[in-house]
Amino acid sequence: MKKSNYINAILSILVALIIGGIVVAFMGHNPLEAFAQLFRGAFVGKFNFGTTLEKFVPLLLAGLAFAVSSKIAVFNVGVEGQLYLGAMAAAWVGFTFSNLSKVVHIPLAILAGMLAGALFAAIPAILKVYFRVNEVLTTMLLNYVAQYLTSYLVNNPFSGGTGVAQSPPIYESAILTRIMPPSRANTGLFIALGMLVFIYWLFYKTTVGYKLRSVGLNRDFTDYIGVNSRKAIILGMMLSGAIGGLAGAIEVMGIHHSFLDNFSSGIGFDGMLAALIAKSDFGMVAIISFFIASLKSGALAMERYTGVPKSLIDAIIAVFILFATMEGLFQLKRRMKSKKEVDEHVG
Amino acid sequence: MLDRIASIFDYTLIHATIRSSTPILLAALSAVITQQANILNVGVEGIMLFGAFTAVCVSFFTGSWILAVLAAMAVGVLVSTIIGFAHLKYKADVFAVGTVINMLAIALTRFLLNTILKSSGSFYSAEIVPIPTINIRFLEKIPVLDSLFNKYSLFEVLGIVIVFILWYALYKTVWGLRIRSVGLNPMAAETAGLNVFKAKFQVILISGMLGGMAGAHLSLGYSKLFAENMTNGRGFMGVAAMFFGGANPVFAWIGSLIFGLADSIGARLQAYGLPSQFILMIPYIATIAILTISLASRIRQERKQKSSLNNLPNN
Repeated sequence: MKKSNYINAILSILVALIIGGIVVAFMGHNPLEAFAQLFRGAFVGKFNFGTTLEKFVPLLLAGLAFAVSSKIAVFNVGVEGQLYLGAMAAAWVGFTFSNLSKVVHIPLAILAGMLAGALFAAIPAILKVYFRVNEVLTTMLLNYVAQYLTSYLVNNPFSGGTGVAQSPPIYESAILTRIMPPSRANTGLFIALGMLVFIYWLFYKTTVGYKLRSVGLNRDFTDYIGVNSRKAIILGMMLSGAIGGLAGAIEVMGIHHSFLDNFSSGIGFDGMLAALIAKSDFGMVAIISFFIASLKSGALAMERYTGVPKSLIDAIIAVFILFATMEGLFQLKRRMKSKKEVDEHVG
Repeated sequence: MLDRIASIFDYTLIHATIRSSTPILLAALSAVITQQANILNVGVEGIMLFGAFTAVCVSFFTGSWILAVLAAMAVGVLVSTIIGFAHLKYKADVFAVGTVINMLAIALTRFLLNTILKSSGSFYSAEIVPIPTINIRFLEKIPVLDSLFNKYSLFEVLGIVIVFILWYALYKTVWGLRIRSVGLNPMAAETAGLNVFKAKFQVILISGMLGGMAGAHLSLGYSKLFAENMTNGRGFMGVAAMFFGGANPVFAWIGSLIFGLADSIGARLQAYGLPSQFILMIPYIATIAILTISLASRIRQERKQKSSLNNLPNN
């Protein structure tokens, strides 16, 4: 990622915070105090920092999933759906097999989640390469299918029978250990960071990664050098879906310990936006998703202590992303400045 | 069993289909106009949500549905101005901007629902003045005609009129030709002396106007309340209908009628104890299936044309 992109991201954050501060001031709160609470709520204390980490994990994975797909020039907007199916598969393994040791049960549930996500992501990939169906559209629509399908499952065959729309709780042996009680941060964090490293290694140090990247850069060229671009796209999408499924699996195994109907509320989309700002640079995805996660967990505390509603922070996050997507916004000023410098030199 | 099927597929289904297809149709038209200039506007969903909120707000405070619709359209234009500047001037990816607008719409309408209307989740009041329905007295006496031709909300009729206005504007006027040429080949259009920036901005603004109108219809015509995220994917379905129709307003209209039909059949099947989730899935799966089939047949046609060229004797 270029240096200008980092500057762009930082300036976007500043502008969004200033706009947010003005709105907070208009609502009759002290913006400095609100932001202090926001910061405290995100980082100070085991519980607060743990909550930030807890929100960081699914965002990072969803962002990675989208970044992987965009590396092969496919827009996987369906991370949300893959996350739901992955969560459901992991939950099913979690509450079905009772006599497994932790060493077997956890990997099994995680693999089930990743497999479910991968298979679900294969559908739009196949439709794209063989029928030229726009993947943005299919993945977007399949999100609803996944959401309704899992909702059906937890309300009918996999109902926990508690009156709440959720699956039975998963067995102790499938639960990821919490690392920062009382928060819900868990060992899923290490799995997610491991995934980040693995994906980086896969894309930049292996032949498979080279093939995937070359499909993203120029599909015709890839075919020309003898790589089946169709297979590569399907593989890349399945990889993306598997990461989405992993995000869901960790949510179930580390946070909720059962499948809750509609639990995600847009994690997939938030991750996607993180990846869009990061221009699909894997390291940057991690930084941006950590930033968004801390804003979100800080917003909860801020709402509790100052009465500034959480939805305002969501709006500020959206404004920040809006500015961050505008590549030309802050460059324009710099260009004017450099032009002036040139003029001065000439003059 | 047969009489059950008959009660699902009776004449009242037509009214139900038009009713549930209109919000999708208006969203689809909003997506059609930008797609003609080769801009995939996924922000329709967010524009609609902004429009729906504005309409309910204005209708509640002023008691005038006309003002409400106009305000919703104005807000739609305002939001689309943001999209236009971000995409055209500051080179943001239009898909990213659209998604952000959707995110912003959900957060901001929730925030304003709390602060302006002082309620959370949804807002309903008897003081909200809805968009009027068209009622023809003498039709009321005959139930069949009454169901088929009567009691349509204003935009359920206007929507169809707009379909043809858009079709005419796009395919029969110089302006439409210019917009389409900008979409097909912006460089050629630029060379021919067209202002591509201006043309693209125009369609984005019109799209915002239509999107705001779609939102106003959703909250004041289709229903009479505002709820958090009440568009619930209708904007995306509009985009799907646009794709279905290949960015032609008339075919997009047919697409949205199919979605509306699936929706209303689903609602009726629900009465017979099929799990509601499966019914709610129908339009989404149907969209994907229809798109796949239409594209598959197009590919087959292309292949046929190619192979017939290969079989020419001189080749």
